[in-house]
Amino acid sequence: MALTGLDIYKLLPKTNCKDCGFATCLAFAMALAQKKVSLDKCPHVSAQAKDALESAAQPPVKLVTVGTGDTKLEMGNETVMFRHEQKFFHPSGIGILVEDTLSEADITAKLSAINALTFERVGQRISVNLACLKNTSGDKDVFAKLAARVASSTKLNIALLGGDAAAVSEAIKSCKDRRPLVIWDGSGSVEPFINAAKENKVPIAITCAGPEEAAQMTEKVKAAGVEEIVINFKGDNISARIQDFTFARRTALKKGARSLGYPFMAITSPAGPHAELAEAASYVSKYASLVIIRNTDREFVLPLLVVRQDIYSDPQKPVQVEAKIYEIGKVDKSSPVLVTTNFSITYFTVAGEVESSKVPSYVICCDSDGMSVLTAWAAEKFTPEKIDETVKKLGIGKLVAHKRLVIPGYVSVMSGRLEEVTGWKIAVGPREASGIPNYLRNLK
Amino acid sequence: MREFTVNFTSQKKAVKVPHGTDVLTAAVKAGIMLHASCGGEGLCGKCKVLIGGKEALACQSIVSRDIDVSIPKGSLETHAKLKAASEEFTRGAVLEREKAFAFSPMVRKEYLELSGPTADDNLSDLERIYRQIGRKFHNVHVSTNLANIKHLSEVLRDSDFKVTVSIGSKDEAAEILSIEPGDTKNKNFGFAFDIGTTTVAGQLMDLATGDILGSRIAFNKQASYGSDIITRIIYGSTPEGLKTLNEAVLDNMNEMIEDLTKAHNVNLADIYAVSCAGNMTMMHLLLKVDPANIRKAPYIPTSTVFETVHAPEAGLKMNPKGIVSFIPGVTTYIGGDIVSGVLACGLSESDDITLLVDIGTNGEIVLGNREWMIGAAASAGPAFEGSGLTSGMKAVNGAIQKVEITKSLEVKASTIGGERPKGICGSGYIDLLCQMLKAGIIGRDGKINRDLKSKNIRETDTGYEFVVADKITVNDDDIENLKRSKGAIYSAIISLLNKVDKSLDEVRKIYIAGGFGNYLNIENAIFIGLLPDAARDRYEFIGNSSLAGARMSLLSHDAYLKTHEIYRNITYIDLSAENSYMDEYVASLFFPHTDLGRFPSVRL
Repeated sequence: MALTGLDIYKLLPKTNCKDCGFATCLAFAMALAQKKVSLDKCPHVSAQAKDALESAAQPPVKLVTVGTGDTKLEMGNETVMFRHEQKFFHPSGIGILVEDTLSEADITAKLSAINALTFERVGQRISVNLACLKNTSGDKDVFAKLAARVASSTKLNIALLGGDAAAVSEAIKSCKDRRPLVIWDGSGSVEPFINAAKENKVPIAITCAGPEEAAQMTEKVKAAGVEEIVINFKGDNISARIQDFTFARRTALKKGARSLGYPFMAITSPAGPHAELAEAASYVSKYASLVIIRNTDREFVLPLLVVRQDIYSDPQKPVQVEAKIYEIGKVDKSSPVLVTTNFSITYFTVAGEVESSKVPSYVICCDSDGMSVLTAWAAEKFTPEKIDETVKKLGIGKLVAHKRLVIPGYVSVMSGRLEEVTGWKIAVGPREASGIPNYLRNLK
Repeated sequence: MREFTVNFTSQKKAVKVPHGTDVLTAAVKAGIMLHASCGGEGLCGKCKVLIGGKEALACQSIVSRDIDVSIPKGSLETHAKLKAASEEFTRGAVLEREKAFAFSPMVRKEYLELSGPTADDNLSDLERIYRQIGRKFHNVHVSTNLANIKHLSEVLRDSDFKVTVSIGSKDEAAEILSIEPGDTKNKNFGFAFDIGTTTVAGQLMDLATGDILGSRIAFNKQASYGSDIITRIIYGSTPEGLKTLNEAVLDNMNEMIEDLTKAHNVNLADIYAVSCAGNMTMMHLLLKVDPANIRKAPYIPTSTVFETVHAPEAGLKMNPKGIVSFIPGVTTYIGGDIVSGVLACGLSESDDITLLVDIGTNGEIVLGNREWMIGAAASAGPAFEGSGLTSGMKAVNGAIQKVEITKSLEVKASTIGGERPKGICGSGYIDLLCQMLKAGIIGRDGKINRDLKSKNIRETDTGYEFVVADKITVNDDDIENLKRSKGAIYSAIISLLNKVDKSLDEVRKIYIAGGFGNYLNIENAIFIGLLPDAARDRYEFIGNSSLAGARMSLLSHDAYLKTHEIYRNITYIDLSAENSYMDEYVASLFFPHTDLGRFPSVRL
């Protein structure tokens, strides 16, 4: 059972020496309980306390790393069942299945298609992470050649999927420095796969029927000396897999079951592109740290990457809207111009009220790091200078024939200074958005 | 530089100010408080005055000749006499707590009858004094300054080696502050101050006996340069602004010192010790330390601990050899006022889990016992201080503080001082919300019931409003504002409990402190969901616990040392980084809560 912050605190020196970087031992203990920090940050902890804390200090889901360098794929370390409880730490990896039976030309085409699966969305670059090479041919030389080719011609992370240990071992050798993930497909014996992973110091994924089998298998793999394990749930259908994922993750987090405290993966079933997208999105939303798909069409991969981006964004950071001019209604040269911050709730509240006023208006959102009006003002993110800069940059002056800005009533105090720096006439709007319709209707 | 006289005709006060001073500053200098919530930017239009019969804004009018200024009543800060009896400042358990620490005031006076030097007893004059003190106070390192040594031989010989030394305690050491001829042991006085954003409270203490001689409370004069703390920090971000704010609060304190010493026949030179508690920004402004970074992320103060200083450094009117100490704080959001409150209510020494909730401009909360303490600030906003609401006002004369609503939706309101109602204060709003809920005027969502037929319910441009008294109303937005405030405080309390996996039932004592004047109906506060539904006998309203802690530190050096233990041991929890706080907060935006199961004793 996981220890609470207070339980851990009782085992610490209670000197508040700050050597760990926290202000008090209790603050450190709470961070430890939430797995946000490791115990070795405390140089003064007694051996006895160390033993007692060992289990509490370990992350409940093991971190597994595939690949190296900037593009490496990290999986695991999750601490919560739901994103809103804190956040998810490592976004699911998305991999594309490449079978070694493809013709030379098809492989070239496929790899270039995979390489091109990278997009820009809300200022972030999102891409697929991995090529999952499958030993369908049964020929170990063909498989090793494919692995060598992918390693030399792409920067993709690599997974090697198969049931023939000899073929997979051979392939590992040709891309060893890329730290590939070995995936045992469940056929044949697992031992040679474990040995190959151990020998080459690479992570292993094991295919299991359900949580019970997975718990036994991970114990076995760990005992054999491989620490980085991924569980690939076979499952008969989507719902069976989601059930396995959920059960296994809950057991790991809530009951502290170490044998299920590993990242999970899934390979989609052969089906049309729509069905595959739906299937993959289901796994991304419920605990799969790696999902292998077949389709490389951009129109199907982008939605999947967007789902992943949305789920794995940090809910502790305020959601922002783009800092720009929004047109609400049929605006013209005489439409009023309202200024506010780019906190999404602020914008949508203001936009909603402007809409219901039926007065076409421009709303300018200033970049305030997603803070609401008063918070942004207090933290100097919504200042006359900043508004001036935004107004000039966005060029609202070209869109309207007047020179008047409406600012939120809560920051009326800046109106004088704002008038000075912008040279625009400043009108002070209502304090609450609910007053906007009435305000706009009477604005002369 | 040329100086001109500004004559405030209605107050019969005149001040000389340098050319170029604005009239608002001149008024503050004359001790006249004008409304100026914008901080003198010329925006709020509240500081209207008549200069030579013509209307003008005081903050925008520059003095360039001798002028007569008359101030209309509406521009004056309500200077209603604030009642100031000590028992109204602090109540109940806190008064008992003061006995928990040994009496050892910040400055002790000892009368010494020394034997003169001889050939056999040839110690120096100073060593002679140290020897005598050493005989009385063991284990204390004593020192003194050169000025005292320079006069020492004369003082000793003039007084036949009979002198009184005043010894100031500074952390682990002690300092001889003064050496006076003869026995002046009984002439030893001190002041305790609570410096709040809105009000400043002070008490004159007899340090020979430990008695409270008198108390005063006044509005913080800094309010003329911004009523909220952010405006004030912005104002204080320039050296001149910082100086102005510093002088404003020193003025407050010095006026109280002069006023109380005069009233109790105490000589200013006999004030040797002052102990101050206040929030982090107030401490920075009091000591003229740059407060600018307090409002900028990541919200770091320059210091949370301030060494004890000598009187001239602090700028207070008292014996120049006297000392001034400050209760340390934890972070920007948990200041010395809260550490002082923890000391006063005894939370840090309790075996039982105890909760302290200080409701002011922010709701500050500390939970814990002798083993551990965690603290948080809920950004409750100043609604319960009566600020930001259509008819809100501070808890002074004329403020509605108790409300009853009859079946026919008639309102019976009683005000502080029994005057004609001018507005509603925090405790009044708590009563009002509770009564409106019970009468069905508002629903659990806080919206005014539009179907109810009453002359007191009116439609306005922005929604509906309810008429409480002549020209005093509460509308949908006000209620929304209050709902958010109460939700912020309640959810902060619950989040702290969750943080340490404790249930409300495990909390044995709940102390409520804050600026509610001297009345707070706990039952009603629970009814609207401001405070959790715990057994009523666990609740106690303790008034100004910050002042109580400052007083305890003044009277007992052990208590002062304790505050240094407390501030180190409080773990600050940043609620804005806790996802569960947002969930709790949103769930609490109902009266009393979305989950009625949390308020079993509330029957709607």
